[in-house]
Amino acid sequence: MRRSSGTSRFLIVAACCGMMLFGSNSAAGKDKDNLLPEWAVDAAKTPTPAGVKDAPTVILFREYLEAVDAQGRAVERKRQAIRILQPQARDQVCAVWYDVDEKINYFKAWTLGADGRQYQAKDTDFFDHGAGEEGIVTPILLDTHKARVVHPPATDVGATVFCESEELRAPWDHEMDWEIQERVPFALEALEIDLPPGLNFSESWHRFPPVKPVEVAPNHWRWEIKDMPALDLRDVKASLEPEALDARMYVEWGDAAVAGVESEWHALGLWYTNIESHRADPSPEITAESQQLVAGATDFFTKLTDITEYIQKNVRYFVVERGIGGFQSHFAGDIFRNRYGDCKDKTTLLISMLQAVGIQADYVLVDDRRGVVDPEAPSLYGNHMITAIEIPDGVNDPRLMAIATGKNGKRYLIFDPTNEHTPVGNLPYYLQGSYGILSAGVESQLIPLPVLAPDSNGTDEKGTFALSADGSLTGSVDTLHTGSEGADFRWMLKYTDDKERLKFWEKYIGQDLPDVTLTSFQFVQATSLAKPLEFHYKVSVPNYAHQAGPLLLVRPRVVDDLAIPFDDKPRQVPIDLTATGDWRDSFDITLPPGYVVDETPDPVNVDMDFASYHSSTTAKGNVLHYEREYVVRQVELPPEKAADFRKLENAILFDEKSAAVLKKQ
Amino acid sequence: MTKSILLGSAVLLLAAVSPVSIHAQFQPPNPDELKMTADPAAPGASAVYLEVKEMENDPLHYESFYQRIKVLTEKGKELATVELPYLQGNWKVTDIKGRTIHPDGTIIPLVGKPEDLLIAKSGDRQANKKVFTLPSVEVGSVLEYYYEIHYDDNWYSSPDWRIQQPYFVHKARYEFTANTVIEMADSYGRIIRRLLWWPQLPAGVSVVNSVGGKFTLNMTDIPPQPDEEWMPPIDSLLYRVGFYYTAATDSHTFWLDEVKIWSKGVDQFAEPSKSLKDAVAGLIAPTDSDLDKAKKLYIAVQALDNTDFSRRKSESEMKQLKVKEIKNAKDTWEQKSGSSEDIAMLYLAMLRAAGLTAYAVKVVDRDRNLFDVAYLSLYQLDSTLVALSTGGKEILLDPGEKMCPFQTVSWKHSSAGGVGQSAQGPSLISTPEQQYKDNVTQRMGDVFVDAQGGVTGRINIVMNGQAALHWRQRALEEDDSELKKEFDSEELAGRTPEGVEAHVDHFLGLNDPYADLMAVVSVNGALGTATAKRMIVPGFFFESRQTIPFVKEEKRVIPVDMHYGRRVTDEITYHLPDGVTMEGGLQDGTIAWPNHAALIVKSVSQPGQITVRQTLLVGFTLAKPDEYQDLRGFYQKVAAADQQQLVLSKSPVVATTATGKGN
Repeated sequence: MRRSSGTSRFLIVAACCGMMLFGSNSAAGKDKDNLLPEWAVDAAKTPTPAGVKDAPTVILFREYLEAVDAQGRAVERKRQAIRILQPQARDQVCAVWYDVDEKINYFKAWTLGADGRQYQAKDTDFFDHGAGEEGIVTPILLDTHKARVVHPPATDVGATVFCESEELRAPWDHEMDWEIQERVPFALEALEIDLPPGLNFSESWHRFPPVKPVEVAPNHWRWEIKDMPALDLRDVKASLEPEALDARMYVEWGDAAVAGVESEWHALGLWYTNIESHRADPSPEITAESQQLVAGATDFFTKLTDITEYIQKNVRYFVVERGIGGFQSHFAGDIFRNRYGDCKDKTTLLISMLQAVGIQADYVLVDDRRGVVDPEAPSLYGNHMITAIEIPDGVNDPRLMAIATGKNGKRYLIFDPTNEHTPVGNLPYYLQGSYGILSAGVESQLIPLPVLAPDSNGTDEKGTFALSADGSLTGSVDTLHTGSEGADFRWMLKYTDDKERLKFWEKYIGQDLPDVTLTSFQFVQATSLAKPLEFHYKVSVPNYAHQAGPLLLVRPRVVDDLAIPFDDKPRQVPIDLTATGDWRDSFDITLPPGYVVDETPDPVNVDMDFASYHSSTTAKGNVLHYEREYVVRQVELPPEKAADFRKLENAILFDEKSAAVLKKQ
Repeated sequence: MTKSILLGSAVLLLAAVSPVSIHAQFQPPNPDELKMTADPAAPGASAVYLEVKEMENDPLHYESFYQRIKVLTEKGKELATVELPYLQGNWKVTDIKGRTIHPDGTIIPLVGKPEDLLIAKSGDRQANKKVFTLPSVEVGSVLEYYYEIHYDDNWYSSPDWRIQQPYFVHKARYEFTANTVIEMADSYGRIIRRLLWWPQLPAGVSVVNSVGGKFTLNMTDIPPQPDEEWMPPIDSLLYRVGFYYTAATDSHTFWLDEVKIWSKGVDQFAEPSKSLKDAVAGLIAPTDSDLDKAKKLYIAVQALDNTDFSRRKSESEMKQLKVKEIKNAKDTWEQKSGSSEDIAMLYLAMLRAAGLTAYAVKVVDRDRNLFDVAYLSLYQLDSTLVALSTGGKEILLDPGEKMCPFQTVSWKHSSAGGVGQSAQGPSLISTPEQQYKDNVTQRMGDVFVDAQGGVTGRINIVMNGQAALHWRQRALEEDDSELKKEFDSEELAGRTPEGVEAHVDHFLGLNDPYADLMAVVSVNGALGTATAKRMIVPGFFFESRQTIPFVKEEKRVIPVDMHYGRRVTDEITYHLPDGVTMEGGLQDGTIAWPNHAALIVKSVSQPGQITVRQTLLVGFTLAKPDEYQDLRGFYQKVAAADQQQLVLSKSPVVATTATGKGN
């Protein structure tokens, strides 16, 4: 579930639309040459800020007005003035997203051309398209969102585009997510909310110091921000997603408009509990199937596994949403019959099946981009739904690793049923270290999602190779993948055929072994997700070692890159380590007859609090032996740790490139 | 399924017959299909089409589609979701039926109404899609569905059978009943009276034409759509049959008529008006040679606003500006703006106004498709060039390609088929192939290696021909900062050695198509690795990490398309730190694929430095599948050569151990 300026959707989506709406009835110009409304004339006077560098556009002015009625339903007016600075922005458009329970009251656009001429967009400049046509990659069956898009006239470099729209928002939508930072800079941005007497609001800020509002009329509030720089992370290595780092502000005026951060999170969870009320009630078929599944289970973990693996294996991921369906799941009975659904549906079915066997579970609203859900900024902004399973007192099973403890003292096992390959007890890396809204009625609250120990994830890799005097290498590699690593492999296996796998792996391994041929490969998947995934393959590489005069150069680290690309630039944002884990490699290369090792690379030993890396290369007889272990203990580092991280990565890169020198006897 | 649609001039009475009586019913499940767990005809496939049926009946304004699919892996489940696009208003998708059959024979029918979602809407034109997903799909399931499309009585429709699918097809039947009585004219006013068809089918397979305008095609064991690297546009190579209602009687007559009409239209558009003649007179001198005149006019039209590289004005913008639609070359000149096509035609008009002999040439954009003479449509041709006839030679010019130098043609328009005017009249033509010597890239520079294998340096990448044209055109569409990022990403990031950062500092000659284009690149990072006694660095700065194509692909079904011939030369001088000497160098030599390609390597070692020079010549554009083994052999040798390394001996002073202390 992601909320964005008046829309919401649940699913993993490719960034959709910059919602750009704008509006006012004061638009009409006085004569045919003066078409711009007054607000646009004023905005056009804004000079391009001096600090703007290389940005394709600058937003000179963007203003939202949320006019809320006594029932809490909002009409959103949006005005925007965008100056085009670079040729790649010549296709500048404005768009308004709307759904079945929303309505666009009006939508207009104008341009002040680079030559000072004024234009107004006509009917032929507008078109509508469905959500499936906007780069949303998830296979969607039903997404009723639509966008109305305007291509304003004369969008040349130097022109300024003005757009204005007014939209009646969905009746259940009582939150404004004000996105105050984007990929382009702002000169001035403002938000107004106009509330009826007696209606309160609450506000919170994500990665931006709070700005005080001005009460411009009774219960009508205005916030203003000037000179917001762009956040462009394209050249920032090992970064969190932009949505985690963008500045935002949230305003609530519905049930969640309560004082205090904890109370607000509680209210949001409670609201969601009501939305899903009775959706998870088990049908007789669900009850029968669930009870049959756990019939032989002797402990809590086995019961869980029987149910979770059933859903992971049998319910196809598929999104079906219409209006509030962006938040609300289908009924468990329907999901069970169709055997498909999205994250909300899978969670609903899981809660239902667990309930049928006497286990309590609740919804948890999350975002799969760590850092988006901010404990200091309550909101419904997010894109995913997972499950919190109550662990009964007295159950202390080491296989239950992903445990979060609520403020009520209850222990919850955090589980993502949409991830079809991460076993219950474990947690996908993209959720670790994040936060989620536990939607559990009166016990609703924000809970931290755990960061698992390194042994919950990783790879154990062993390779045996024979090198020929002509530099060619043949051999076999046997790997075991656990946790998220294993899940990623299983995901790949599920969605590819043999030909694609071969292609994928030759390309992947080809980064280390150019021109490699996989002479055979085999994946072994245990029935239980909790067991490691095995991957066995054989390679033939024509030019692995390189002749250099009388010498033969061979890299002891045969496969597997662990180095994360990094640079020497000053660091301003956190460093994303992606996942905790433990990766071990051991490679033996039998040397060609007549060759001896003249030199081996030096060992590498780096120990940090967040990670460690140890490698060594030795020669015994005619075998060159390499081994290493890389352990990551945290998923994210503050920018102050950049120097340590750089040192670690440089050491790994150096080690991975290092060559042993062989000499002919 | 795609179709060509014609709005008829009369309502046909035949439509009164209801199509309801021909609805398909699903047959009982076939036990052999249910038992199947893999398909020997398609090893490793995620799914196979067991049966495909497509039937179009134009007199009844009705089409029906049936598919039966076996799901063999998880990935194959994606076929359970079906999207059926249609135009709202005149077309209706009806009678959607579907079911999932589990391997044990359990049948789960599709229930509920398929969703009707908006694709796009503009004014009163709207495209929607019906979408449904079959329920309870498992690996091993058989998926089966059927639907119909009905269209208005005053429409004619002829199908375009796309026979190859993403997966193997066991059995397919296509059937088309054409209208035998047609009452309409084409856009030139010619009476449409015939149906022609364009088959692209394997040997031994043909469309059967029976009485009453009925066409059928039965095929079995249809391979999936091929997917190979460096393919020509694939659409032009797949099995398909296209049908046309046309005024032509046969293929020969069609092209004869079509090129005449096209040529007449060209001459009308490019008619040199008085104002155009005046403009031309101001641009050239009577004493100029033909070639000089042609070049001056070329530069003049290239300087106009080419809206394919800037921005095309919308209809409303043109109205507000009171700018009229371009109808002839004079309009383009007066507006100082036009599309690539408008500008090419203006250039033709100006050459003629200058008294030169020039002809229009219209070809397919080879990046998009290949010209097929059997496909009876001029719409497959989308780019206009100009042929200047002077001194007994014909010079092909590409004025519609912004930044394309005089006498250079974009590779997309080289080796391309189409139609052309000439002194003998219009005819089918093919444009010449690009020569490797016309597309040269040189990467030259000095890199300074320190005792730990670190490196700094500067490399100049000098380009002409197609590479320069590409980057100059990109520069029209984005600012300098974005252009540098794109160049870094496309030309440097995947080519420079691991651990080395290479970034464009600036470009020279970006705005002058007649100069060489130079990218000045700065490099730094960790080039080599060091041991106690030695330093090892990649022999070839730009090639050590690049994936060489064709090395692993043993067989080839589709021709190899290199787009254009080229020569790429690297000349990098490594400056070595004090006390470091060459211990092992590169193997000099030449690898050749005679008359097609060659790689030449030469290194020169001097005290304190070594210079490595490598040249790759690609002298061919297309290689047929029967040439593939020679091509592959060449690239295998290139791949081996590219991996060579330099071994440098150093004084036993510097020992490097990457040991972090941590905290």
